[in-house]
Amino acid sequence: MKKRRWVIATALAAGAGLVVAGCGGGSGGSSSTGGSGGATPQKGGTLRLETQDFGYTDAFDPTGEYLGLGWGLLNQLMTRTLVGYAHRPNEPGNVLIPDLAESVPAPSADGLTYAFKIKQGVKFGPPLNREITSKDIAFAIERIATPSLAAQYPNYFQNIAGFKAFSDGKAKTITGIQTPDDKTITFKLTKKQGNFVYAMATPAASPMPREVAGCFTKAGDYGRYVISSGPYTFAGSDKLDASSCKTLKPISGFNPTKNQTWVRNPAYDPATDDPKARGAYVDKITYDINTNAKDIFDKIEAGTVDGSPDTPPSDVIQKYATSSSLKNDLKIYSGDRTWYMYMNLTTPPFDDIHVRKAVSYATNKADLQKAWGGPVSGSIATHIAPQTVYHDRFPKDYDPYPYDLTKAADEMKQSKYDTNQDGVCDASACKNIFFVTRNLPQWSAMTPITQANLAKIGIAVTPRELPTSNAYTTIQTTANKVPIAANAGWSKDFADAATFFVLQDGRNILATGNSNYGLIGLTASQATKFKVPYPAGGVPSLDADIDTCSALTDPERIDCFINVDKKSMEQVVSWLPYLFANSVETASPALTNGYVFDQNSGEQAFVNEWVDQSKQK
Amino acid sequence: MWQYIIRRLVWSLVVVLLVTLLAFIIFYVLPSTDPTIAFAGKQPTPEIRAEVAKNLGLNHSKPVQYLIFVKHLFLGDQYGWPGFGKSFNSREPIKGEMFSRLLVTLQLAIGALIIWLTLGISIGVLSALKRRSAMDRGAMGFALLGISTPVFFLGILGLYLFWKVLGINPGTGYVGFRDNPWDWFQHMWLPWVVLALLSAAVYARIVRGTMLDVMGEDYVRTARAKGVSERNVVIRHMLRPTIAPVLTLAGIDFALLIGGAVVTESVFNLPGIGAYVLDAVGQNDLPVAMGVTVIAAVFVTIMNLIVDIAYGFVDPRVRYT
Repeated sequence: MKKRRWVIATALAAGAGLVVAGCGGGSGGSSSTGGSGGATPQKGGTLRLETQDFGYTDAFDPTGEYLGLGWGLLNQLMTRTLVGYAHRPNEPGNVLIPDLAESVPAPSADGLTYAFKIKQGVKFGPPLNREITSKDIAFAIERIATPSLAAQYPNYFQNIAGFKAFSDGKAKTITGIQTPDDKTITFKLTKKQGNFVYAMATPAASPMPREVAGCFTKAGDYGRYVISSGPYTFAGSDKLDASSCKTLKPISGFNPTKNQTWVRNPAYDPATDDPKARGAYVDKITYDINTNAKDIFDKIEAGTVDGSPDTPPSDVIQKYATSSSLKNDLKIYSGDRTWYMYMNLTTPPFDDIHVRKAVSYATNKADLQKAWGGPVSGSIATHIAPQTVYHDRFPKDYDPYPYDLTKAADEMKQSKYDTNQDGVCDASACKNIFFVTRNLPQWSAMTPITQANLAKIGIAVTPRELPTSNAYTTIQTTANKVPIAANAGWSKDFADAATFFVLQDGRNILATGNSNYGLIGLTASQATKFKVPYPAGGVPSLDADIDTCSALTDPERIDCFINVDKKSMEQVVSWLPYLFANSVETASPALTNGYVFDQNSGEQAFVNEWVDQSKQK
Repeated sequence: MWQYIIRRLVWSLVVVLLVTLLAFIIFYVLPSTDPTIAFAGKQPTPEIRAEVAKNLGLNHSKPVQYLIFVKHLFLGDQYGWPGFGKSFNSREPIKGEMFSRLLVTLQLAIGALIIWLTLGISIGVLSALKRRSAMDRGAMGFALLGISTPVFFLGILGLYLFWKVLGINPGTGYVGFRDNPWDWFQHMWLPWVVLALLSAAVYARIVRGTMLDVMGEDYVRTARAKGVSERNVVIRHMLRPTIAPVLTLAGIDFALLIGGAVVTESVFNLPGIGAYVLDAVGQNDLPVAMGVTVIAAVFVTIMNLIVDIAYGFVDPRVRYT
């Protein structure tokens, strides 16, 4: 999810090294809700945040934003949805709760209909100050279906009847959405989709006023005009002249290259919300761009800034982790992100499952974790999606490939590429293998470890370190046939494993921009189309399993995807996950007791944070 | 003289056009990555990329894209004249943002220019007049330090000393002059000094060297022999020929700062044009990169022209036809 931000984050976390590794830190959360020591939240004041860059993917337009920070800010502060989250750490933060709707609905008996009842008294903020209706939510879905708005997740909504016809311009409305009255909205699906309610919690599905959002038909243009339904609104929203599209001028509280400022939304009624989900303690939130990364963290330590969504540089992490006075200000939580290597199922020698298993056994993940800075950077990954995505139901002792050179050799002996069956690959296909990775510190530190690990089973990789975007473009171009790469990572869209297995679905393979790097589920016709070899024994597929699980709802859905995860690890063996990354941030003395993590977005729960104004400078 | 100016302006236009073509090739043609992928989200399907391409104006062939860019540059676009289009990232018109940032960079550059000229010329002159004295050696030592110390290091050191330790500087950031003149000055003086130190050091050495050459000239000896006071010998007979090359250099250096002060702007979090383009290049925001390149090219060519004309006034031997 947070591709750009995690690039900076992990690059800087690497240098913390062994000293920090020795200090532990761990994952799964180091601060309780509401801050440490059970301090009572204080109302009032300003939460002051800084960042090197906003990193918004669609200029803050809810229809197109897809990274964690944009989602967190929108969902917490401005765009309430029919169902939402508690904006808390760990499992409670990943559970759906009612937001604009009176309850989280179960599907109808046939699994195809979802009906929501909207609460009374929920309103858009200034300048509209009017009641939110079911038609505002229907309009939001229409925006997702509008191609020119380039919504990022139409796949989560395309099962709504009539979605495609509307998207193709063949219908004026989405027939599967019914709004019999202002407070009722019903969605009829064409096939079962067990994560549909999760999709309705994304900012893209938040109610949008047609009289303002309807003026913008290009991706990202609505971002500076977002009308709030949450506890905060952009400063200056009341000055927006929404009498017509022509009179609209960008709201002053959002300058895309400088700052964002939120103030309380006078139209927000806390009685319609859950105070544990949105405490809304501070009166104002300022979020400024500061191009000097070091300066941001100096200011946080000095107390002139309260926090930053950016990951601190490694020397700052080390300082905080080793200082008794600063240790509590270092906030570490599971980031719900997997870093992994992949092996291309169509490219020798990785077209042989025994070679893939041998590589999995021969990879020392503990050493890779050290290269990333030790436990503070995350926990060792032994399966595809992190534990929180499975709502803590994945077996905790699961590790199909513990580091074991004997087992690695045993697997290699069974491979056609080990001609003399001595446990070492001797075929020419095992030499000089193109290996893509990033030219950032922790990946550079990983490269010699990987080379040494694979050399023990006779596999010689030739690393090519590239800048992040180039590395991704290289592996995303299917015809490049990159055999093995270490630059990839993925985080959840929401706590549903389907958001990970979209990467392992053969139907999602593309010629360029492809994310199924291992080509799992590739068919013979796709191989011809994308100009890649098709192994004689075929390519393992998870498509049918993904379809089966996708139709289920929790908890059966969770358990189904756990089995898919295990199948991917044990029978497909394309992914070699090595780290479940942590979110690491620092808090100022004024924020440290009021710091809260939002597990859903993987960012701070700004809406539930409070500041000790006496400690602000 | 007017013929000269008009001829130079026409050539400046040609140079700017060539620069835009070169920049277009570097940013739009040469990269192997498709910019639509960067803006097409987590799963850049062909359909999303096609919409993104249409939205960003990348759905035409490269030559057509370039011609559209040039047309908008000279004739304006829906956001006014000159037409730089809109940012891929922020979806905002580039023109307004660029010119407001240019203003900040100009404030930084002008302030630094005044300091480095004052410091550089004074130190250079005094150093030349007191050749081989402790003052001369100290001045050249300062020059060596100034030339050797990177701007980012000086900036971070300055922030540490004046903000963190002494608390006499408000730290990074920018406050508009109209919002609070004193706050503006407090935020700007340290970046001015940091940016000026390197150039001051260079100019001190140049002025010293030129002064030493001039000091040996016959007319200087003649002036002294005629009884002209030492002060007048320095100011009226030695300084003027010394200043001429300095002016040329200052003009070009000033023009290069537009877009070249990126390190200072980043360290001090000044919303200038250098930081703008640095961000843009890192995020594949190609229209911003093109727009800033054009502005920088225009500045450099115009400043070159101004400097050449000014040279004619400073040195009466120079004539333009």
